[in-house]
This record gives sequence, C-alpha cells and structure tokens, in this order.
Amino acid sequence: MTGAGSSRRMAALKLLRRRLIQAVPLMLGVVVINFVLIHLAPGSFLELMTAENQVSDPATIALLRKTYGLEDPTWLQLLKYIWALLHFDFGFSYRQNMPVIDAILLNLPATILLMVSSIALALAVGVAAGVVASMKVRTFWDTIVSVAAMFFFAAPSFWLGIMMIVLFAVKLGWLPVGGMATIGGTGGSIAGGAGGILDILHHLILPTLALGLFYAAIYTRVMRSSMLEVAQLDFVRTARAKGLSRNQVTVHHVLRNALLPVVTILGVQMGTVLAGSVVIESVFSWPGVGSLLFDSVSSRNYPVVLGIMVLGSLVVITANIAVDLVYMWLDPRIEIR
Amino acid sequence: MQRFAFLGRFARNRGALVGAVVILVVAFVAVTAPFFFPRDPLRIVGQPELWPGEDPDFLLGTDSLGRDILAMIVHGARATLLIGLFASAVATLIGVTIGAIAGYFGGWTDEIAMRSAELFQTIPNLIFVLTIVVILGSTLTNIVIAIGIVSWTPIARMTRAEFLSLRDREFVQACRSMGMGNAGIIVGEILPNALPPVIVLSSLVVAGAILFESAVSFLGLGDPNVASWGRLVGDGRQLIRSSWYICAIPGVAIMITVLCLNLIGDGLNDALNPKLRDR
Repeated sequence: MTGAGSSRRMAALKLLRRRLIQAVPLMLGVVVINFVLIHLAPGSFLELMTAENQVSDPATIALLRKTYGLEDPTWLQLLKYIWALLHFDFGFSYRQNMPVIDAILLNLPATILLMVSSIALALAVGVAAGVVASMKVRTFWDTIVSVAAMFFFAAPSFWLGIMMIVLFAVKLGWLPVGGMATIGGTGGSIAGGAGGILDILHHLILPTLALGLFYAAIYTRVMRSSMLEVAQLDFVRTARAKGLSRNQVTVHHVLRNALLPVVTILGVQMGTVLAGSVVIESVFSWPGVGSLLFDSVSSRNYPVVLGIMVLGSLVVITANIAVDLVYMWLDPRIEIR
Repeated sequence: MQRFAFLGRFARNRGALVGAVVILVVAFVAVTAPFFFPRDPLRIVGQPELWPGEDPDFLLGTDSLGRDILAMIVHGARATLLIGLFASAVATLIGVTIGAIAGYFGGWTDEIAMRSAELFQTIPNLIFVLTIVVILGSTLTNIVIAIGIVSWTPIARMTRAEFLSLRDREFVQACRSMGMGNAGIIVGEILPNALPPVIVLSSLVVAGAILFESAVSFLGLGDPNVASWGRLVGDGRQLIRSSWYICAIPGVAIMITVLCLNLIGDGLNDALNPKLRDR
C-alpha cells in the first residue's frame, strides 16, 4: 500500500512541476496580450488622469510622462513592466492613491469568497441532481432535473440575480438587497466576530445563487450523462456480480469515476467563473475585484485593469493546477501511467 | 435521401423541434420589426411605468420614460440575434482556421495553436471583452469581434480533433499522391467532412454570444445606439422596487432565445450522432 501511495505522490509532484513550468509562458502570454491591447487605446491614460485632476502645467505633464515611462518605445515599456511584475510591482493607481497591487488585494478576498461559495454550490447541487437524474433515468424526477437545468443554463446570471432580489429582498424581505455587510452593523468584517461572519454569509446567499446556479446546471447535465456512461462499463458489472447492492456500487464505483469529467470542466471554466463574478458584483454591489475593475474600466485607469487581468489569470492558473491535482487524486488509473 | 433522414432524426427530438419553431418566430419578428413598429422604438409614447395589460395600446407596458416595451423587445430581437450570429461567425472563422492548421500540420504548429487556445481560456473572458470594448470603443463591430475572440477555443479544439482523425485517411492520401497542395486538401477535402460537428458547436456559440452581449450591454458598455435586450434589463434596474416587470420582460426574452438555441444544438448533436441519442 505504501508503495502505491508513494508512487502516486511522485506522479503528483511530477505533474505539479510540469504544470508550473507550463504556467510561465502562459503568464507571459497573458501579460503581452493585455499590455499590447491596452497600448492600442487612443490617447494615454495620463490625459484622463491629468484632466481629472485638473493638471494643465506642461512641465508637470512632461514630468509625469517621464515618471510613467511613456516616452519609451512600447517594447521597452513592456520589458520594464514585466521586470516590475517579477518584483510584484504592478504600478501605481492614482484614483485609489495606492499601489495597484494593494488596491487589488484589498478587493480580492471578497471575489474569492464569492467564487469559492458559487463553485461549492454548483458542485453540490450539480453532482446531487445529476446522480438523482441518472439513478431515476426516464422518470418524473429525471425530467424535473433536466428541465430545471435547461432553464438555469439559459438564464443570464445578472437577470436571475435581479429577479431574486425582487423576490427575496424586496417582496419577502428575507435577504439583503446587496453589499457585503449591514451598514452601521457591528459586523462587516471578521473582526465583528461570529455575528460579523453570519452577517457576511447572509449577504452571500443571493450572489452565490445567481452565479452558482448556471454552473450547477452545467454540472448536472455532465454528471447525469457521465453517470449513465460509467454505469455501463465492465468494472461496474463486475462489482454488481460480486453481490454488492446497487447503491453501494453507485456510491463506491460509479460516482468517483463519473466525477472526472465534472472536474475537467470545472478547471476549464475557472476563468469564466471569475469573469462572471464581475457582473454579479455589479448587481449586488459586492465589494470585490469586479467593482474595482468596473470603476477602473470606466475611468480608463489602465494600470489597474492590466493588474486585474494579470492577477486574475494567475488565480485561474493556480486554480487549474489545484483542479489537476484533484483529478489525479480521483482517477484510480493514474498509478498505471 | 440522407438529408431527409437527418431532418427526420432532428424532428423526432421534440425539444429541438420546439426550439427551432420558436427561433424561427423570433427571427421573423426581428426581420419584420420595422413593419409592425415602423417608428423609433426609443421614442416616448405614453405614460411612464404602465404595467403590462394596464393599457391595451401597450401590451407589455411602458418603461420609466414611457417607451413602449413591446416595441423595444421586438427591435431588440434584431440587435440581439444579429450580434449572436455574427459573433458566432467570427468565432467559427478563427476557430476553424486555427484548428484546421493545427490538426493538419501537427508538430510545433499544433503546439503553438493549442498553447494560444489555453491562453485564451486562462484570461477571464468577460473581463477581456469589457476591456476590448472600452479601449476600442463601444460599437457593434467591436463587440462582435471581442465576443468572437473569446469564444473560438472550443471550435478550434473540435476542428483540430476532426482534422487529426481525417488527415491520414485514404482519400486524403490519394489527393496527396495526385499532387494536390495542402491548401486544396484542407479546404476542399477535409473541411467538408469535418464541418458537421463544428456547426453544432457554432449554434451553441450563438447562444453563448447572446449571453455575453447581454452582460456587456447590461453593464452599460454596449453600443449606445442599439437597444439590445441586455441593455433593457440594465435600464430597468433602478426601478425594481416599483416596476420590476421592466427588468423581467427582456430577461425572459433572452432566456427563451438562449434556451431554444441550446435545444437546437442538442437536437443537431443527436441527429449527427444517433448512437448517443439515449443519453
């Protein structure tokens, strides 16, 4: 047993190393593409910045241009940016009057919380519904699950969010309309103690549903067809022939293997979930990276936009590696490779 | 005969049939919009915030400014469908080109193509679309291109897989031995055989593109001259306490359209792969 365990650990480490090496050109690509895109913008962000702060003195503007390195050719600016990134320097945001990285890190926890809770909801609902549908295939329950999945797969998340606000916040008054904490309440942060955490969770319910149900619908469909497919494989028949009950086989043999495609899709969609949270944050005034991005995009505060892209992609790559490791842990065939 | 068998299989899927009929109706409404509502849908016609059914002249009510919601929905169908179709066309064009070249030539070409596909899956798609639209300007063309740029990767992967399995078949080898060039083989011989599953995926990309566009417009970054459904939801957002129907109606329109496009995609898929039909 220990031998098999250590070979699995070796394989996991190997995979981790390969993924980390692959992540380097990927990150470089992300930086280059977004940097070039932002340099396609007509006029520099400096013009907006100086207009906003009513700076008209040519000497000051020239100094600013020099400080921000706008005199250099684009390729040199790019190299300087990459060099700075390696030192975790994302530039300075004049709107927040703090380094870009600080502004993003201030907002990142809220977004990660929303992402994690939405993915958890999507996985729980999707896997459960998919299993039920596949075990009761072609019955009333199967139909109900499939129809619900179809609807949530087609509903725009922002609209679903608004409709839930109308029902649960405005009409029924059960849940807050938006924000992350009750204004003037004791909570609003971990510092608020248990009450504060409960307050945040209370605010988290609707955004999580709005973002997560779309993915729950996808996982339901994938899980259902994957369960049906795995149930027809030889090893399942063997397990049944050994005298195990149908439920035992489903839980111990089918479920684990049927989860693999769901995990794959989860990895592919990490970027989509992050992007989707931008819209949901706007609907619920959730104080995350999405709100920061929206503010920065509208005010053409490009250093922040670029920083969010780079850091967002980093989050996606990290999550992808984690998903790969989970996949490996789930896949019993991995030892043979 | 084969084509009729295909249509027969498609029609046997009741969901797909319903989806196709609804989409045809939406497309008809979109095409004939200027005929039924010849005047500008964004002009003010009556009292603001009339609920649906309150005034028989405005079946779906009026919005906060007193504009006819039905007229805006009907005209919005044009914008929404066109953006979805064109964005899917852009994604298909990029995806098929890259996928075909990658699958046919293999080697480092394939490596570069697949790495760039991975790259575009890493960048959070909607954030990328928003950035492109803000930087290059909120015009219909830019929105269509931006959505196409983030939607091509599944099509490229599918095309690549088809090309990989077809490139060494006898008929391709025959063409090669007759001295046919690579371009001729790719476009004239392999592509027609690789297209059917790609078309299914394109129909699903239309649905995804409509959702993308609605999110962009909802956030207020859409083309200011176009009243797409997403923008109507965004416009009604301030009034959810008193008149939530202003938000609800265009959202239902988006949902039904996307739902029906997905049903069509499923139906096409089943019709193309009869073996998988029972799943």
